[in-house]
Amino acid sequence: MERRVEDPEMGVTETRRPTDGEAPREQRFERWLAERVRPEDGQIPAFIFSSPEVYQLELERIFARNWLFVAHDGEVPEPGDYVTRRMGEDPVIVVRGEDNEIRVFLNVCRHRGMRLCRADLGNTSHFRCPYHGFTYDNGGHLVGVPFHKEAYGERLDKEQLSLLQARCERYAGLVFATWADAGPSLEQYLGDMRWYLDLLLKRAKMEVVGPPQRWTVDTNWKLPADNFASDAYHTATTHASIAAIGLAPSIGFGKDGYQIRAGNGHGLGLGIGPGPVVPPEVLALYERHLSSEQIDVWRRMQNLHATVFPNLSILMSSATGPQGRRVIHTTVRQWQPLGPDRLEILSWLVVESEADPQWKEMCRRAYILTFGTSGIFEQDDTENWSNITANVRGAIARETLNFNYTMGIGSEEPVTGFEGPGRALGTKFQEANARAFYRRWLDLLLSAD
Amino acid sequence: MAGKGEGTVAPTSSDRVYDQVVQFLYHEAELLDSGRFTEWLGLMTEDIAYEMPIRLTREKSDKPDISSAMAHFCEDRETLRLRIERLKTDFAWAEDPPSRTRRFVSNVRIAPAGDGREVQVRSYILVYRNRGDSPSAELISGERHDVLARAGDGWKIRKRTVIVDQANLGTRNLGIFL
Repeated sequence: MERRVEDPEMGVTETRRPTDGEAPREQRFERWLAERVRPEDGQIPAFIFSSPEVYQLELERIFARNWLFVAHDGEVPEPGDYVTRRMGEDPVIVVRGEDNEIRVFLNVCRHRGMRLCRADLGNTSHFRCPYHGFTYDNGGHLVGVPFHKEAYGERLDKEQLSLLQARCERYAGLVFATWADAGPSLEQYLGDMRWYLDLLLKRAKMEVVGPPQRWTVDTNWKLPADNFASDAYHTATTHASIAAIGLAPSIGFGKDGYQIRAGNGHGLGLGIGPGPVVPPEVLALYERHLSSEQIDVWRRMQNLHATVFPNLSILMSSATGPQGRRVIHTTVRQWQPLGPDRLEILSWLVVESEADPQWKEMCRRAYILTFGTSGIFEQDDTENWSNITANVRGAIARETLNFNYTMGIGSEEPVTGFEGPGRALGTKFQEANARAFYRRWLDLLLSAD
Repeated sequence: MAGKGEGTVAPTSSDRVYDQVVQFLYHEAELLDSGRFTEWLGLMTEDIAYEMPIRLTREKSDKPDISSAMAHFCEDRETLRLRIERLKTDFAWAEDPPSRTRRFVSNVRIAPAGDGREVQVRSYILVYRNRGDSPSAELISGERHDVLARAGDGWKIRKRTVIVDQANLGTRNLGIFL
């Protein structure tokens, strides 16, 4: 098989077939990867954030095999509603069929590969290809071929030409899909993370507010994914401006709480503080939906940032609003790779459907002010991530530079008495979750099948 | 500049108002391009509503390709002030070192409103944003729908809605104002 490969010794990229008598370059590359990436030692080589070869392996062995978030089910509430998304770099349509089932199809006509649906969202019973007119119903079946008899006679088997369909399952309103026919169910894949998804997304009936904000940043998808799983430490410096203008009490606002490893590369930080961040009437709403243990967490929780491996993150953030009122928001975001050094961010706001409109609007404004495209937190994150990516293209980064993920090595004894599942450590200033993220990442990258 | 009898520009407005509005928009662009944000905030009324809804790719026959349900900006005077306060701290990394920006404002059209105390203004905006030693530009293009209110001899912005031309913004963040 011919493919672009990188020569670890030469540090160059070329296209070449492996020759007899030496290990195929792919295998040599994988061996080199296994030597250089040492998650348990906190040693993550810089090149994995820019290498085209690493990225190609990620597309094949992570994005084509794992459960990936594709939509919130509130985006497609009625039969025929669809949104278009990507799984890895493969375009997909997420559509609710006439039978009310949500399905995920490759957004590619089976005839000549034309993009079948070119809108972001809409409602339709059929998708007609603009190239030759092959027409599929919203259940993915090929139902129309122009001049069928004249062009093909009896020789075209339409049943063999349904749209390529991914497995699709839902949890807590989140729609996931995978190209893996076998393998774990979504619930098995999420594992311990379900409890925390419940905490945020089953605390009430939740709705998604409008379409996602979308923007493109020149960075590698893993930097934000590991940040949301593991990195509370950056808040003291990156987000010091937030404390300086009074929206957070001090620059240490990210420190207190737990870092929780939830298995399969999933991880979260859960900030703890003096009291509930939501008013009593909102907490009362949660009490109708959550367990008493989860409510106990809500009474102390100040924030929660999580990554569902590989590229979905969820955040509940609280701040002191302009009028001195505490306000929270909950955002779901996808780190959608567009190459080794390019990323599209899709970011949604979710709010409690049953809450009063004033509360929802407060959450919406708090979200727009602090996160997303113009958010005064997130602006500084994307500045960091794009600068890092620009730094790791050089030869030194490739050959010798390791990023340091050693924080908390040797103090990874879980605390006892925390209500939730997973392995909870007693501080958020920890990089254990990042080490677990890259362990999972490496294991997947090195598994050929 | 303004329609001297051609009948193509601002047919119902006097040249004087049109000229004032154009000068106002140029002045505003200069304040933003030179980082004079507090002075820029001074151009807003107390009840300013500053918004930038999401733009979408939709089929032509579908509903509007703009969604206000979610927005890139949804600001009042207080949140604009907070954003500017932040830019003045030593930790606003997204804009320190500052971007070099150039705001090109054109295609200005006006219509009187509010018994002559207000004027509705539509203009095109193209923002060139450049950071560090990158030779490539981040470009943001859009149409601005403004309501200007008379304030003494001049004008202030009461409402601004920016209709951006990208469904997927090609800038790392909106650390700048439009």
